[in-house]
Amino acid sequence: LLQKKSDVYSVEDLWDKRSRKTDIGDEEEKYKDLKGNKKKRRQKTLRKKWRTFYSLSFSLSFGIQDDHKLSASELEEKYGTSVNKGLSSARAAEILARDGPNSLTPPKATPEIVKFLKQMVGGFSILLWIGAVFSWISFGIQLAQGAESPFDNLYLGVVLALVVILTGIFAYYQEAKSTNIMASFSKMIPQQALVIRDAEKKELPADQLVVGDIVEIKGGDRIPADIRLIFTQGCKVDNSSLTGESEPQSRSCDFTHENPLETRNIAFYSTTCVEGTATGIVINTGDRTVIGRIASLTSGVGNEKTPIAIEIEHFVYLVAGVAISIGVLFFIISVSMRYKILDSIIFLIGIIVANVPEGLLATVTVSLSLTAKRMAKKNCLVKNLEAVETLGSTSIICSDKTGTLTQNRMTVAHLWFDNQIYSADTSEDQTTQPFDQSSPSWTALSKIVTLCNRAEFRPGQENLPIMKRVVVGDASETALLKFAEVILGDVMSIRARNRKVAEIPFNSTNKFQLSIHETDDPNDKRFLLVMKGAPERILERCSTIMINGKEEPLDSEKAEAFQTAYMELGGLGERVLGFCHLYLPEDEFPDTYPFDTDSMNFPTSNLCFVGLLSMIDPPRSTVPDAVSKCRSAGIKVIMVTGDHPITAKAIAKSVGIISATSETVEDIAKRLNIPVEQVNRREATAAVVNGMELKDMSLQQLDEILCNHSEIVFARTSPQQKLIIVEGCQRQGAVVAVTGDGVNDSPALKKADIGIAMGIAGSDAAKNAADMVLLDDNFASIVTGVEEGRLIFDNLKKTIAYTLTKNIAELCPFLIYIIASIPMPIGTITILFIDLGTDIIPSVALAYEKAESDIMNRRPRNKRKDRLVNEQLAVYSYLQIGIMQSVGAFITYFTVYAEQGFLPSTLLGVRVDWENNAINDFEDSYGQQWTKYQRMYLQWTGYTAFFVSITIQQVADLIIRKTRRNSIFQQGLFRNKVIWVGIFSQIGIALILTYGLGHVTALNFTPLRFQYWFVAVPFAILIWVYDEVRKLFIRRYPGSWWDKNMYY
Amino acid sequence: MEIRACLILLFYLVFYGFLAALFTFTMWVMLQTLSSDIPKYRDRISSPGLMISPKPDTALEFYFNKSDAQSYAEYVSTLRKFLESYDDSKQSQNINCTPGRIFDQNDVAVKKACRFNLSELGQCSGKEDKTFGYSKGTPCVLVKMNRIIGLKPEGEPRIHCTSKTAWGALKALEEGMVEINYFPPEGLIDLMYFPYYGKSLHAHYLQPLVAVQLAINSNSTKEEIAIECKILGSPNLKNEDDRDKFLGRIAFKVQMTE
Repeated sequence: LLQKKSDVYSVEDLWDKRSRKTDIGDEEEKYKDLKGNKKKRRQKTLRKKWRTFYSLSFSLSFGIQDDHKLSASELEEKYGTSVNKGLSSARAAEILARDGPNSLTPPKATPEIVKFLKQMVGGFSILLWIGAVFSWISFGIQLAQGAESPFDNLYLGVVLALVVILTGIFAYYQEAKSTNIMASFSKMIPQQALVIRDAEKKELPADQLVVGDIVEIKGGDRIPADIRLIFTQGCKVDNSSLTGESEPQSRSCDFTHENPLETRNIAFYSTTCVEGTATGIVINTGDRTVIGRIASLTSGVGNEKTPIAIEIEHFVYLVAGVAISIGVLFFIISVSMRYKILDSIIFLIGIIVANVPEGLLATVTVSLSLTAKRMAKKNCLVKNLEAVETLGSTSIICSDKTGTLTQNRMTVAHLWFDNQIYSADTSEDQTTQPFDQSSPSWTALSKIVTLCNRAEFRPGQENLPIMKRVVVGDASETALLKFAEVILGDVMSIRARNRKVAEIPFNSTNKFQLSIHETDDPNDKRFLLVMKGAPERILERCSTIMINGKEEPLDSEKAEAFQTAYMELGGLGERVLGFCHLYLPEDEFPDTYPFDTDSMNFPTSNLCFVGLLSMIDPPRSTVPDAVSKCRSAGIKVIMVTGDHPITAKAIAKSVGIISATSETVEDIAKRLNIPVEQVNRREATAAVVNGMELKDMSLQQLDEILCNHSEIVFARTSPQQKLIIVEGCQRQGAVVAVTGDGVNDSPALKKADIGIAMGIAGSDAAKNAADMVLLDDNFASIVTGVEEGRLIFDNLKKTIAYTLTKNIAELCPFLIYIIASIPMPIGTITILFIDLGTDIIPSVALAYEKAESDIMNRRPRNKRKDRLVNEQLAVYSYLQIGIMQSVGAFITYFTVYAEQGFLPSTLLGVRVDWENNAINDFEDSYGQQWTKYQRMYLQWTGYTAFFVSITIQQVADLIIRKTRRNSIFQQGLFRNKVIWVGIFSQIGIALILTYGLGHVTALNFTPLRFQYWFVAVPFAILIWVYDEVRKLFIRRYPGSWWDKNMYY
Repeated sequence: MEIRACLILLFYLVFYGFLAALFTFTMWVMLQTLSSDIPKYRDRISSPGLMISPKPDTALEFYFNKSDAQSYAEYVSTLRKFLESYDDSKQSQNINCTPGRIFDQNDVAVKKACRFNLSELGQCSGKEDKTFGYSKGTPCVLVKMNRIIGLKPEGEPRIHCTSKTAWGALKALEEGMVEINYFPPEGLIDLMYFPYYGKSLHAHYLQPLVAVQLAINSNSTKEEIAIECKILGSPNLKNEDDRDKFLGRIAFKVQMTE
């Protein structure tokens, strides 16, 4: 029986397991389905877009039509232009009027009126509208009842509506202004184009170009429109922003492909000409260009809410919740205390107004825009204000390599001669090279570097630092030219002294470049043949090698040394070039020898190998520091590049993205000498992922990589894969910042929590899709941005804590008024004067507060846990400091009444008689009798006293909010000067209100006796002392009960 | 969890306890600085307001039927109650002062109150006519000036009333709708009742009264008559304030039916 039972069990177990397994499988499939489908759908739509785009490209409506197939003369005829003379100005103006300017229409914006109305109903506005409507309703009722002063409520309603409208207008204005920053930025550098018009060459703003214009382009220019090329000279364009191909592509006048996108004789708007020159006819302008079409196709990807927007929403809900629940609670209390419904409604309005920090949202906007300004100074241009803080909560940065981490220019990094590797200085502002230059081998090598080089400096740049000069030539030649110029001085004059007699330029079959020169040594009549190229090809042609200036036979040992050096430099991800030379014997090659490069009537073998030079696009000097800052700030930096894995890994190592001690799976395999498959993947902290591998990966595999490795480099990735990587990071719950420059980066930039476009290299599409633009393309600027973002988060916390505190001091009067029936301590209008008057400048001033500790030494905030307004902040502000403020203000209130004849005991329960218009002989504690108006005036004096006390205590509140943990004395009272501006403005506004406007009845202020300003001062000091004690305990006992409950 | 909640409770108990103690202490200190005799400041009531008795519940409007005792019973009882403190028996401690002169008692520790003889109110004293004239169509209204400590009226203050019809024409008096009689004659307020020294020092103080008797013409019954009384003849008693409608003046309406 037992046996049987166990059998049954086992069967059941098995069934259970199986069913569970299938469940899991299902789930996995569902998961895949959900994610995969979404992605597939997106891919499908993308693909669809591309397909439509391609099909469009063949249709007439596409605009390029068959311009690439036509000859120059046919084109001239078609566009009514002339290749030599260009359009006439008049004709150009006509076409411009017809087609519009040559610029992309910005993406369709939300209508201004909608934006405006949104500001009118967002945030606290609804609550205030409710208050206003209630005011009007009670006005209507009172009017109908024929009460004596119904207009108070009408005014209150109007004031509330005005507050909403004014803050709405302000917010709208702020938003418009920040949008304009972006607009002004694109106007800042108007692009120029060299155009032939009226048979003259003219520099015109690029947006003035029209179809049919003849434009000239040279290396470094951005293509100003879609252009059919009619003349080219060594022209190469970088189409990466359009197609994602990183290699520059050559352009010619020939029709090479049916598809206008593939043919070589068309250059596209917004791509750049890398080298050479070209002339062409403009065939499409503005939105009709290929880029314009893509831009309009890809726009419309929705934006997600920024973290700070979520935080502010959370805060608004919190405060609104408190306001409504207290309001309703006291409405019920007052109704059950037999107050009239009308009165209860008026109390409700008062409670709402007291609870809502009317000025706060405007303050937040101002603080954010101040930070945005500060960031713009540090080369981070923020398009969307809220992105300021998003950057601060970033936990993963996916950064491009070229241009962002690196300087985006090839630079000589290492040399190898005399069997030794020398390092060269690769910094941005090098003026000398520190390596040993005494060896005669170096003299020989430097001569080859100088002479066997076609690159030249653009004239007229003698005063610029060498590294900043513009060079005509390809990247490696430029690097060599600058390298030589730094060490040897004027390269051009050296070349002039060593006249070139023959030259074979570099081509892909030879893989070398060769030139023959006369020497500058008058006693040496020999010609010098110099050659550079791929190291292995150069070595093949050599029979000797120069060691310390002497030619020695190239034996296997020396060849081995060469191989080692070559491998080592190649392993650094550097582009290595070999250099060799040969002095041609004078007898065989006399002065008059006719060198012929076609028949090669000179030796190209048995040369003398001189050395190797390796080049790399070196990291920017500020980047390693920035990366290590990110590390200590808990931000993971992932490199995503289209480059070769070896180069990518080398750069990642040199900037610290892959730290010196960590290894990839491949590294471990190599070290342990085992196959890659046997390595425990968990041991490897770093990973270099090839784009090809990524293509075959499932989402889970990607997640695994992102999860398990702290240092990741994605190499050979396409811009599309960037999107997948970003999505992967977001699945980990990270806030992801992504940099990008190409058109194809736009989806990733939009998908990211914060998209960062490059200001210099970035395409307009990328800039449009991004939330932020890096003006200097420098990774280090992102880190500065992160720092600012974190600071503003901290400072907003302080601002909100400051603003919330006095809400209690504004609310308590109402509650006590209702419960104890004392004369009203503070009026609704007076509350508005605090919220929108005295408190505004101080709360903005907190945005200028310096960080309390190194904010880059803590982890990024967890967006689920670390809220802007947390329980501690609300409790500490509301229930502790707020209550203290109320006590101080009530003391002042009671003092004012007592000194005028109403002792506190007399005040309790007098509300009904006090407010009765017919009682004009109201007796005070001393037997005097007061008319209604005399009582009202005293009540306003009470308002003013209450107001002044809150203001005085808010000064203390402002000072304590400067820090959350440190003592004020550690932070320094005077470091943030703006705080003092805030304090003086606060007191100044209060003085103006009480003494300047004290006679305007409607405002309910009265000139107050001077000593009442000081009644609350002891309480202000108490607040300060109490907060210092709080901070002291927090610092002394970290992790204690006190710390947990008191630190906000 | 329990402990944590208790700790928080304890904390707030201590915290609010401390604040409450501090509040009480500060209030106590503040009250110690005050005199129990006169308030520290009296600038908010520099000039007295006027008030009437009886004071109808509805905003100072008298409606009654002279033949229906019930309709004015409340006015009569209010007046009677108000005048109780002026009864001779209650004024035994009060002294007879010199009329027409301010009765300065600054140097005297025990402030004396001046006697106000009810007989001065003549027909409105309630002695002869227990209904204060309401039954005869000549209702009495007592006008009094608010007590203000230390106030010394200058000149010869007197109460003077005018009447208008409800629609504002100042003709009522001329047309003889209503005839106004004052007790004491001409509505004089004697200076000897001033100054007032406050509730604690001047316990038996009685403020001077002026009775205004409205003899409503029998033709003008059912007519709503607006009466405005002002204090005149004293340069330091204001009666024209824009905002304060009761400062040195008072307006009320009377409508009598038969």
